[in-house]
Amino acid sequence: MPEQQAITLEQLNQQIRSLITCADTQNVWVTAELSDVAPRGGHYYMELLQKDDDGRNIIARSRAMIWANRASSIISKFEHATNQRFATGIKVMVCVSASMHPVYGLSVVISDINPEFTLGDLMRRRQEILNQLQQDGVINDNRQLQWPAVAQRIAIISAQGAAGYGDFINQLFGNNQHLRFNARLFPAIMQGERSPESIINALNTIAQEQDEWDCVVIIRGGGASADLASFEHYELALNIAQFPLPVVIGIGHERDITVLDFVANMRVKTPTAAAQWLISKNAAVLDQLQQTATNITLAVTERINGCKTQLSHIEGIIPSVARIAIERSKNSLQRNMLSLSAVSNRIVASRARLDNIALMLRNNATSLTMRASDSLAATSRLLNALSPQATLNRGYSITRINGKAVTAATQLNPGDVITTQLADGQVTSTINQ
Amino acid sequence: MSTPQFTPVKEMSYNQALAELESILQKMQNNECDIDQLAAYTRRASELLGECRSRLTATDQELQSILASLENAN
Repeated sequence: MPEQQAITLEQLNQQIRSLITCADTQNVWVTAELSDVAPRGGHYYMELLQKDDDGRNIIARSRAMIWANRASSIISKFEHATNQRFATGIKVMVCVSASMHPVYGLSVVISDINPEFTLGDLMRRRQEILNQLQQDGVINDNRQLQWPAVAQRIAIISAQGAAGYGDFINQLFGNNQHLRFNARLFPAIMQGERSPESIINALNTIAQEQDEWDCVVIIRGGGASADLASFEHYELALNIAQFPLPVVIGIGHERDITVLDFVANMRVKTPTAAAQWLISKNAAVLDQLQQTATNITLAVTERINGCKTQLSHIEGIIPSVARIAIERSKNSLQRNMLSLSAVSNRIVASRARLDNIALMLRNNATSLTMRASDSLAATSRLLNALSPQATLNRGYSITRINGKAVTAATQLNPGDVITTQLADGQVTSTINQ
Repeated sequence: MSTPQFTPVKEMSYNQALAELESILQKMQNNECDIDQLAAYTRRASELLGECRSRLTATDQELQSILASLENAN
Protein backbone atom coordinates (compact mmCIF):
# COMPACT_ATOMS: atom_id res chain seq x y z
CA MET A 1 0.00 0.00 0.00
CA PRO A 2 1.71 3.17 -1.11
CA GLU A 3 2.13 5.73 1.61
CA GLN A 4 -0.34 8.49 1.09
CA GLN A 5 0.79 12.07 1.49
CA ALA A 6 -1.45 13.91 3.91
CA ILE A 7 -1.59 17.28 5.56
CA THR A 8 -2.95 18.03 8.96
CA LEU A 9 -6.43 19.47 9.44
CA GLU A 10 -4.83 22.57 10.79
CA GLN A 11 -2.81 22.86 7.60
CA LEU A 12 -5.95 22.38 5.52
CA ASN A 13 -7.74 25.08 7.44
CA GLN A 14 -4.78 27.37 7.05
CA GLN A 15 -4.79 26.75 3.32
CA ILE A 16 -8.49 27.51 3.15
CA ARG A 17 -7.84 30.62 5.15
CA SER A 18 -5.14 31.77 2.80
CA LEU A 19 -7.40 31.03 -0.18
CA ILE A 20 -10.35 32.94 1.08
CA THR A 21 -8.40 35.86 2.35
CA CYS A 22 -8.58 37.99 -0.73
CA ALA A 23 -10.06 41.35 -1.72
CA ASP A 24 -13.31 39.71 -2.81
CA THR A 25 -14.09 38.45 0.69
CA GLN A 26 -12.74 41.33 2.76
CA ASN A 27 -14.78 44.39 3.73
CA VAL A 28 -17.67 43.38 1.50
CA TRP A 29 -21.15 44.81 2.05
CA VAL A 30 -23.65 41.99 2.36
CA THR A 31 -27.40 41.96 2.95
CA ALA A 32 -28.79 39.25 5.19
CA GLU A 33 -31.30 38.48 7.91
CA LEU A 34 -30.18 38.16 11.51
CA SER A 35 -30.82 34.99 13.44
CA ASP A 36 -29.80 33.62 16.84
CA VAL A 37 -28.19 36.86 17.90
CA ALA A 38 -26.35 36.15 21.15
CA PRO A 39 -24.15 38.63 23.01
CA ARG A 40 -21.44 36.91 25.03
CA GLY A 41 -18.68 38.66 26.87
CA GLY A 42 -19.15 41.84 24.89
CA HIS A 43 -18.95 40.01 21.58
CA TYR A 44 -21.99 39.33 19.44
CA TYR A 45 -22.44 35.94 17.83
CA MET A 46 -25.16 35.28 15.27
CA GLU A 47 -26.20 33.59 12.09
CA LEU A 48 -26.66 35.47 8.84
CA LEU A 49 -29.41 34.01 6.66
CA GLN A 50 -30.72 34.43 3.19
CA LYS A 51 -34.15 33.05 2.46
CA ASP A 52 -35.89 32.46 -0.84
CA ASP A 53 -38.50 34.88 -2.13
CA ASP A 54 -41.27 33.14 -0.18
CA GLY A 55 -39.21 33.56 2.96
CA ARG A 56 -39.66 29.88 3.75
CA ASN A 57 -36.45 28.17 2.77
CA ILE A 58 -32.98 29.18 3.76
CA ILE A 59 -30.79 29.34 0.72
CA ALA A 60 -27.64 30.65 2.36
CA ARG A 61 -26.28 30.72 5.87
CA SER A 62 -23.14 31.90 7.54
CA ARG A 63 -21.90 32.26 11.08
CA ALA A 64 -21.02 35.83 11.99
CA MET A 65 -19.66 37.80 14.89
CA ILE A 66 -18.97 41.33 15.97
CA TRP A 67 -16.01 41.69 18.24
CA ALA A 68 -16.54 43.58 21.41
CA ASN A 69 -14.28 46.47 20.40
CA ARG A 70 -16.64 47.27 17.47
CA ALA A 71 -19.90 45.95 18.89
CA SER A 72 -20.81 48.66 21.36
CA SER A 73 -20.25 51.52 18.93
CA ILE A 74 -21.80 50.09 15.75
CA ILE A 75 -24.74 48.44 17.48
CA SER A 76 -25.71 51.52 19.48
CA LYS A 77 -25.32 53.65 16.35
CA PHE A 78 -27.59 51.21 14.51
CA GLU A 79 -30.22 51.03 17.25
CA HIS A 80 -30.30 54.77 17.67
CA ALA A 81 -30.80 55.33 13.95
CA THR A 82 -33.42 52.65 13.39
CA ASN A 83 -35.18 52.36 16.73
CA GLN A 84 -34.68 48.69 16.16
CA ARG A 85 -32.95 46.29 18.40
CA PHE A 86 -30.07 44.53 16.74
CA ALA A 87 -31.81 41.22 17.09
CA THR A 88 -33.12 38.14 15.36
CA GLY A 89 -35.52 38.67 12.52
CA ILE A 90 -34.38 42.00 11.14
CA LYS A 91 -32.71 42.53 7.81
CA VAL A 92 -29.33 44.20 7.81
CA MET A 93 -26.65 45.41 5.49
CA VAL A 94 -23.32 44.60 7.09
CA CYS A 95 -19.72 45.05 6.12
CA VAL A 96 -18.05 41.69 6.54
CA SER A 97 -14.74 40.01 6.10
CA ALA A 98 -14.58 36.27 5.68
CA SER A 99 -12.43 34.54 8.25
CA MET A 100 -11.31 30.98 8.73
CA HIS A 101 -10.43 29.92 12.24
CA PRO A 102 -8.55 26.65 12.63
CA VAL A 103 -10.89 25.60 15.45
CA TYR A 104 -14.14 27.40 14.81
CA GLY A 105 -14.16 27.15 11.03
CA LEU A 106 -15.53 29.59 8.51
CA SER A 107 -17.35 32.69 9.67
CA VAL A 108 -17.64 36.35 8.82
CA VAL A 109 -16.62 39.22 11.02
CA ILE A 110 -18.86 42.24 10.92
CA SER A 111 -17.09 45.57 11.06
CA ASP A 112 -19.97 47.93 10.24
CA ILE A 113 -23.72 48.09 9.81
CA ASN A 114 -25.73 50.32 7.45
CA PRO A 115 -28.82 51.46 9.36
CA GLU A 116 -30.41 53.00 6.24
CA PHE A 117 -30.93 49.57 4.75
CA THR A 118 -32.74 48.25 7.81
CA LEU A 119 -34.79 51.39 8.06
CA GLY A 120 -35.76 51.06 4.42
CA ASP A 121 -36.58 47.41 4.89
CA LEU A 122 -38.64 48.25 7.95
CA MET A 123 -40.56 50.87 6.02
CA ARG A 124 -41.11 48.42 3.21
CA ARG A 125 -42.37 45.76 5.60
CA ARG A 126 -44.61 48.22 7.38
CA GLN A 127 -45.97 49.39 4.05
CA GLU A 128 -46.61 45.81 3.02
CA ILE A 129 -48.55 45.18 6.22
CA LEU A 130 -50.52 48.40 5.74
CA ASN A 131 -51.27 47.50 2.13
CA GLN A 132 -52.48 44.09 3.22
CA LEU A 133 -54.71 45.61 5.91
CA GLN A 134 -56.04 48.04 3.33
CA GLN A 135 -56.82 45.12 1.04
CA ASP A 136 -58.50 43.33 3.94
CA GLY A 137 -60.66 46.44 4.26
CA VAL A 138 -60.04 46.70 8.00
CA ILE A 139 -57.31 49.32 8.26
CA ASN A 140 -59.63 52.06 9.56
CA ASP A 141 -62.03 49.87 11.54
CA ASN A 142 -60.61 50.57 14.96
CA ARG A 143 -59.88 54.20 14.17
CA GLN A 144 -63.53 54.74 13.26
CA LEU A 145 -64.96 53.20 16.43
CA GLN A 146 -67.03 55.63 18.48
CA TRP A 147 -65.94 56.17 22.04
CA PRO A 148 -68.58 55.93 24.72
CA ALA A 149 -69.52 59.29 26.28
CA VAL A 150 -67.42 58.33 29.28
CA ALA A 151 -64.50 55.90 29.05
CA GLN A 152 -63.92 54.75 32.59
CA ARG A 153 -63.42 51.02 32.29
CA ILE A 154 -59.90 50.50 31.03
CA ALA A 155 -58.49 47.12 30.04
CA ILE A 156 -54.71 47.39 30.14
CA ILE A 157 -52.34 45.18 28.22
CA SER A 158 -48.85 45.52 29.61
CA ALA A 159 -46.13 43.58 31.29
CA GLN A 160 -46.76 42.88 34.93
CA GLY A 161 -44.58 45.02 37.16
CA ALA A 162 -43.30 47.11 34.26
CA ALA A 163 -42.41 50.69 35.10
CA GLY A 164 -44.66 51.93 32.29
CA TYR A 165 -47.65 50.16 33.77
CA GLY A 166 -46.95 51.69 37.18
CA ASP A 167 -46.62 55.16 35.60
CA PHE A 168 -49.93 54.69 33.85
CA ILE A 169 -51.78 53.55 36.97
CA ASN A 170 -50.34 56.32 39.14
CA GLN A 171 -51.17 58.94 36.57
CA LEU A 172 -54.67 57.61 35.98
CA PHE A 173 -55.73 57.22 39.58
CA GLY A 174 -53.79 60.19 40.89
CA ASN A 175 -55.63 62.64 38.63
CA ASN A 176 -56.41 65.80 40.53
CA GLN A 177 -59.98 66.02 39.29
CA HIS A 178 -60.78 62.80 41.11
CA LEU A 179 -62.08 61.25 37.91
CA ARG A 180 -63.22 57.75 38.56
CA PHE A 181 -61.61 54.87 36.64
CA ASN A 182 -61.85 51.17 36.73
CA ALA A 183 -58.79 49.34 35.39
CA ARG A 184 -57.50 45.82 35.13
CA LEU A 185 -54.23 44.47 33.83
CA PHE A 186 -54.25 41.74 31.21
CA PRO A 187 -50.59 40.75 31.35
CA ALA A 188 -48.62 40.16 28.19
CA ILE A 189 -45.03 39.89 27.09
CA MET A 190 -44.11 43.28 25.69
CA GLN A 191 -40.69 42.57 24.20
CA GLY A 192 -39.25 40.20 21.71
CA GLU A 193 -40.57 37.67 19.26
CA ARG A 194 -43.21 36.20 21.57
CA SER A 195 -44.76 39.58 22.17
CA PRO A 196 -47.30 39.68 19.30
CA GLU A 197 -48.83 36.32 20.15
CA SER A 198 -48.96 37.18 23.83
CA ILE A 199 -50.68 40.51 23.10
CA ILE A 200 -53.15 38.80 20.77
CA ASN A 201 -54.00 36.33 23.56
CA ALA A 202 -54.62 39.20 25.97
CA LEU A 203 -56.84 40.90 23.37
CA ASN A 204 -58.83 37.71 22.98
CA THR A 205 -59.36 37.49 26.72
CA ILE A 206 -60.65 41.07 26.77
CA ALA A 207 -62.88 40.43 23.75
CA GLN A 208 -64.60 37.65 25.66
CA GLU A 209 -65.77 40.19 28.24
CA GLN A 210 -65.90 43.22 25.99
CA ASP A 211 -69.14 44.53 27.54
CA GLU A 212 -67.22 45.17 30.75
CA TRP A 213 -64.67 47.48 29.15
CA ASP A 214 -64.78 50.82 27.35
CA CYS A 215 -61.35 50.63 25.75
CA VAL A 216 -58.02 48.82 25.64
CA VAL A 217 -54.73 50.50 26.44
CA ILE A 218 -51.60 48.74 25.22
CA ILE A 219 -48.61 50.18 27.02
CA ARG A 220 -44.99 49.39 27.33
CA GLY A 221 -42.35 51.25 29.14
CA GLY A 222 -39.10 50.72 30.89
CA GLY A 223 -37.86 48.33 28.19
CA ALA A 224 -35.20 49.07 25.65
CA SER A 225 -36.33 51.91 23.51
CA ALA A 226 -35.22 50.13 20.39
CA ASP A 227 -37.19 46.93 20.40
CA LEU A 228 -40.16 47.62 18.27
CA ALA A 229 -39.44 45.21 15.43
CA SER A 230 -41.74 42.64 16.97
CA PHE A 231 -44.63 45.11 16.79
CA GLU A 232 -44.30 45.36 13.04
CA HIS A 233 -46.53 42.38 12.86
CA TYR A 234 -49.40 41.74 10.47
CA GLU A 235 -51.43 39.43 12.72
CA LEU A 236 -51.16 41.77 15.67
CA ALA A 237 -52.06 44.79 13.55
CA LEU A 238 -55.03 42.87 12.11
CA ASN A 239 -56.24 41.97 15.62
CA ILE A 240 -56.02 45.56 16.76
CA ALA A 241 -57.68 46.91 13.61
CA GLN A 242 -60.60 44.55 14.08
CA PHE A 243 -60.87 44.84 17.83
CA PRO A 244 -64.43 45.80 18.88
CA LEU A 245 -63.27 48.36 21.47
CA PRO A 246 -61.13 51.44 20.78
CA VAL A 247 -57.45 50.65 21.30
CA VAL A 248 -54.97 53.19 22.65
CA ILE A 249 -51.33 52.46 21.92
CA GLY A 250 -48.54 53.85 24.07
CA ILE A 251 -45.61 51.58 23.50
CA GLY A 252 -42.72 53.77 22.75
CA HIS A 253 -41.13 57.12 22.88
CA GLU A 254 -41.56 60.11 20.70
CA ARG A 255 -39.76 58.83 17.64
CA ASP A 256 -40.98 55.27 17.79
CA ILE A 257 -43.67 54.47 15.36
CA THR A 258 -44.86 51.00 14.49
CA VAL A 259 -47.54 49.73 12.19
CA LEU A 260 -49.80 49.45 15.23
CA ASP A 261 -49.88 53.24 15.49
CA PHE A 262 -51.56 53.33 12.09
CA VAL A 263 -54.40 51.00 13.00
CA ALA A 264 -55.09 51.81 16.67
CA ASN A 265 -57.85 54.27 17.50
CA MET A 266 -55.42 56.47 19.37
CA ARG A 267 -51.65 56.62 19.55
CA VAL A 268 -49.79 58.31 22.33
CA LYS A 269 -46.09 58.45 23.05
CA THR A 270 -45.89 56.96 26.49
CA PRO A 271 -47.96 55.19 29.14
CA THR A 272 -48.13 58.45 31.08
CA ALA A 273 -49.44 60.21 27.98
CA ALA A 274 -52.05 57.46 27.57
CA ALA A 275 -53.31 58.11 31.10
CA GLN A 276 -53.29 61.86 30.56
CA TRP A 277 -55.24 61.48 27.37
CA LEU A 278 -57.94 59.39 29.09
CA ILE A 279 -58.06 61.87 31.95
CA SER A 280 -58.47 64.85 29.65
CA LYS A 281 -61.17 63.00 27.72
CA ASN A 282 -63.20 62.47 30.87
CA ALA A 283 -62.35 65.89 32.24
CA ALA A 284 -63.95 67.29 29.08
CA VAL A 285 -67.09 65.31 29.89
CA LEU A 286 -67.04 66.75 33.39
CA ASP A 287 -66.69 70.24 31.92
CA GLN A 288 -69.57 69.55 29.60
CA LEU A 289 -71.63 68.46 32.59
CA GLN A 290 -70.70 71.68 34.36
CA GLN A 291 -71.75 73.59 31.26
CA THR A 292 -75.07 71.75 31.21
CA ALA A 293 -75.60 72.66 34.86
CA THR A 294 -74.91 76.30 34.07
CA ASN A 295 -77.22 76.19 31.06
CA ILE A 296 -80.02 74.69 33.11
CA THR A 297 -79.61 77.33 35.79
CA LEU A 298 -79.67 79.98 33.09
CA ALA A 299 -82.70 78.48 31.40
CA VAL A 300 -84.64 78.27 34.67
CA THR A 301 -83.75 81.83 35.62
CA GLU A 302 -84.63 83.05 32.16
CA ARG A 303 -87.92 81.21 32.21
CA ILE A 304 -88.86 82.63 35.59
CA ASN A 305 -87.78 86.12 34.58
CA GLY A 306 -89.77 85.74 31.40
CA CYS A 307 -92.85 84.83 33.38
CA LYS A 308 -92.30 87.77 35.71
CA THR A 309 -91.93 90.16 32.80
CA GLN A 310 -95.04 88.77 31.20
CA LEU A 311 -96.96 89.17 34.46
CA SER A 312 -95.88 92.74 34.96
CA HIS A 313 -96.69 93.50 31.35
CA ILE A 314 -100.18 92.12 31.83
CA GLU A 315 -100.44 94.02 35.09
CA GLY A 316 -99.52 97.18 33.24
CA ILE A 317 -101.99 96.83 30.42
CA ILE A 318 -105.00 95.55 32.36
CA PRO A 319 -106.30 99.07 33.43
CA SER A 320 -106.04 100.45 29.93
CA VAL A 321 -107.54 97.27 28.51
CA ALA A 322 -110.45 97.69 30.94
CA ARG A 323 -110.88 101.31 29.91
CA ILE A 324 -110.88 100.34 26.28
CA ALA A 325 -113.40 97.59 26.96
CA ILE A 326 -115.75 100.05 28.70
CA GLU A 327 -115.33 102.49 25.88
CA ARG A 328 -116.10 99.79 23.40
CA SER A 329 -119.23 98.78 25.32
CA LYS A 330 -120.36 102.37 25.44
CA ASN A 331 -119.91 102.75 21.75
CA SER A 332 -121.76 99.62 20.98
CA LEU A 333 -124.57 100.71 23.31
CA GLN A 334 -124.71 103.99 21.47
CA ARG A 335 -124.88 102.21 18.16
CA ASN A 336 -127.65 99.98 19.46
CA MET A 337 -129.60 102.97 20.69
CA LEU A 338 -129.27 104.63 17.33
CA SER A 339 -130.52 101.62 15.52
CA LEU A 340 -133.32 101.24 18.08
CA SER A 341 -134.51 104.80 17.41
CA ALA A 342 -134.44 104.08 13.70
CA VAL A 343 -136.68 101.12 14.41
CA SER A 344 -139.08 103.26 16.47
CA ASN A 345 -139.21 105.80 13.65
CA ARG A 346 -140.19 103.06 11.36
CA ILE A 347 -142.93 102.04 13.82
CA VAL A 348 -144.31 105.60 13.97
CA ALA A 349 -144.43 105.76 10.21
CA SER A 350 -146.14 102.40 10.04
CA ARG A 351 -148.64 103.46 12.65
CA ALA A 352 -149.44 106.65 10.71
CA ARG A 353 -149.98 104.61 7.65
CA LEU A 354 -152.30 102.33 9.57
CA ASP A 355 -154.26 105.30 10.94
CA ASN A 356 -154.59 106.59 7.46
CA ILE A 357 -155.89 103.32 6.22
CA ALA A 358 -158.36 103.18 9.13
CA LEU A 359 -159.62 106.65 8.32
CA MET A 360 -160.00 105.80 4.70
CA LEU A 361 -161.82 102.66 5.67
CA ARG A 362 -164.18 104.57 7.94
CA ASN A 363 -164.91 107.20 5.26
CA ASN A 364 -165.54 104.64 2.64
CA ALA A 365 -167.77 102.66 4.96
CA THR A 366 -169.90 105.73 5.79
CA SER A 367 -170.44 106.67 2.21
CA LEU A 368 -171.24 103.11 1.38
CA THR A 369 -173.84 102.96 4.17
CA MET A 370 -175.36 106.20 3.10
CA ARG A 371 -175.64 105.07 -0.43
CA ALA A 372 -177.19 101.82 0.67
CA SER A 373 -179.71 103.59 2.89
CA ASP A 374 -180.69 105.95 0.04
CA SER A 375 -181.31 103.07 -2.27
CA LEU A 376 -183.25 101.32 0.50
CA ALA A 377 -185.51 104.36 0.90
CA ALA A 378 -186.20 104.47 -2.81
CA THR A 379 -186.96 100.82 -2.87
CA SER A 380 -189.27 101.27 0.15
CA ARG A 381 -191.08 104.09 -1.60
CA LEU A 382 -191.52 101.91 -4.65
CA LEU A 383 -192.69 99.12 -2.49
CA ASN A 384 -195.23 101.41 -0.78
CA ALA A 385 -196.56 102.56 -4.15
CA LEU A 386 -197.01 98.99 -5.23
CA SER A 387 -198.50 97.69 -1.90
CA PRO A 388 -202.24 96.48 -1.77
CA GLN A 389 -202.88 98.99 1.05
CA ALA A 390 -202.20 101.84 -1.36
CA THR A 391 -204.74 100.34 -3.82
CA LEU A 392 -207.20 99.79 -0.97
CA ASN A 393 -206.72 103.41 0.06
CA ARG A 394 -207.69 104.45 -3.31
CA GLY A 395 -211.11 102.72 -2.86
CA TYR A 396 -210.40 99.29 -4.12
CA SER A 397 -211.19 96.18 -2.04
CA ILE A 398 -210.17 92.55 -2.01
CA THR A 399 -212.76 89.79 -1.73
CA ARG A 400 -211.66 86.50 -0.30
CA ILE A 401 -213.35 83.18 0.14
CA ASN A 402 -211.81 80.82 2.57
CA GLY A 403 -208.72 83.13 2.66
CA LYS A 404 -208.29 83.11 -1.09
CA ALA A 405 -208.75 86.21 -3.24
CA VAL A 406 -211.84 86.05 -5.51
CA THR A 407 -210.96 87.21 -9.01
CA ALA A 408 -213.97 85.73 -10.92
CA ALA A 409 -217.72 85.78 -10.20
CA THR A 410 -217.98 82.17 -11.10
CA GLN A 411 -215.97 81.33 -8.06
CA LEU A 412 -218.98 82.27 -5.90
CA ASN A 413 -222.19 80.51 -5.31
CA PRO A 414 -225.30 81.73 -3.32
CA GLY A 415 -224.79 81.14 0.31
CA ASP A 416 -221.04 81.46 0.21
CA VAL A 417 -219.58 83.64 2.95
CA ILE A 418 -217.12 86.07 1.65
CA THR A 419 -214.79 88.54 3.35
CA THR A 420 -214.15 91.90 1.87
CA GLN A 421 -210.97 93.72 2.76
CA LEU A 422 -211.28 97.52 2.77
CA ALA A 423 -208.63 100.15 3.38
CA ASP A 424 -209.37 100.38 7.08
CA GLY A 425 -210.97 96.99 7.86
CA GLN A 426 -213.06 94.12 6.55
CA VAL A 427 -216.72 93.10 6.24
CA THR A 428 -218.21 89.65 5.98
CA SER A 429 -221.15 89.08 3.62
CA THR A 430 -223.30 86.20 2.38
CA ILE A 431 -224.03 85.79 -1.28
CA ASN A 432 -227.74 85.96 -2.16
CA GLN A 433 -227.59 85.69 -5.78
CA MET B 1 -101.63 69.32 36.56
CA SER B 2 -99.93 65.94 36.64
CA THR B 3 -96.47 65.62 38.16
CA PRO B 4 -93.97 64.27 35.59
CA GLN B 5 -92.79 60.69 36.20
CA PHE B 6 -89.04 60.07 36.24
CA THR B 7 -86.94 56.90 36.09
CA PRO B 8 -84.80 56.47 39.21
CA VAL B 9 -81.32 57.78 38.32
CA LYS B 10 -79.56 54.72 39.66
CA GLU B 11 -81.27 52.62 37.01
CA MET B 12 -80.07 54.83 34.18
CA SER B 13 -76.91 54.67 32.13
CA TYR B 14 -74.70 57.73 31.98
CA ASN B 15 -75.82 58.34 28.41
CA GLN B 16 -79.48 58.10 29.30
CA ALA B 17 -79.00 60.52 32.17
CA LEU B 18 -77.13 62.93 29.93
CA ALA B 19 -79.77 62.67 27.19
CA GLU B 20 -82.51 63.44 29.71
CA LEU B 21 -80.53 66.39 31.04
CA GLU B 22 -80.26 67.77 27.56
CA SER B 23 -83.92 67.27 26.80
CA ILE B 24 -84.86 69.08 30.03
CA LEU B 25 -82.54 71.91 29.08
CA GLN B 26 -84.12 72.10 25.65
CA LYS B 27 -87.61 72.11 27.13
CA MET B 28 -86.65 74.98 29.38
CA GLN B 29 -85.00 76.95 26.61
CA ASN B 30 -87.93 76.48 24.24
CA ASN B 31 -90.51 77.41 26.87
CA GLU B 32 -92.06 73.97 26.49
CA CYS B 33 -91.81 73.39 30.18
CA ASP B 34 -94.94 74.28 32.04
CA ILE B 35 -94.20 76.77 34.78
CA ASP B 36 -96.00 74.51 37.28
CA GLN B 37 -93.52 71.77 36.46
CA LEU B 38 -90.45 73.98 36.38
CA ALA B 39 -89.51 73.18 39.97
CA ALA B 40 -89.97 69.44 39.37
CA TYR B 41 -87.81 69.55 36.25
CA THR B 42 -85.13 71.64 37.92
CA ARG B 43 -85.01 69.25 40.85
CA ARG B 44 -84.76 66.37 38.37
CA ALA B 45 -81.95 68.09 36.47
CA SER B 46 -79.99 68.63 39.64
CA GLU B 47 -80.49 64.99 40.59
CA LEU B 48 -79.24 63.84 37.16
CA LEU B 49 -76.26 66.19 37.33
CA GLY B 50 -75.35 64.89 40.76
CA GLU B 51 -75.55 61.30 39.58
CA CYS B 52 -73.47 61.96 36.45
CA ARG B 53 -70.85 63.79 38.49
CA SER B 54 -70.61 61.07 41.07
CA ARG B 55 -70.20 58.49 38.35
CA LEU B 56 -67.38 60.51 36.80
CA THR B 57 -65.55 61.31 39.97
CA ALA B 58 -64.57 59.37 43.04
CA THR B 59 -63.80 60.56 46.54
CA ASP B 60 -60.22 60.78 47.74
CA GLN B 61 -60.78 57.85 50.00
CA GLU B 62 -62.06 55.67 47.17
CA LEU B 63 -59.08 56.58 45.00
CA GLN B 64 -56.63 55.75 47.77
CA SER B 65 -58.17 52.34 48.30
CA ILE B 66 -58.18 51.61 44.56
CA LEU B 67 -54.52 52.58 44.31
CA ALA B 68 -53.67 50.49 47.34
CA SER B 69 -55.41 47.44 45.90
CA LEU B 70 -53.66 47.90 42.58
CA GLU B 71 -50.29 48.16 44.27
CA ASN B 72 -50.98 45.04 46.27
CA ALA B 73 -51.98 43.20 43.11
CA ASN B 74 -48.60 43.89 41.62
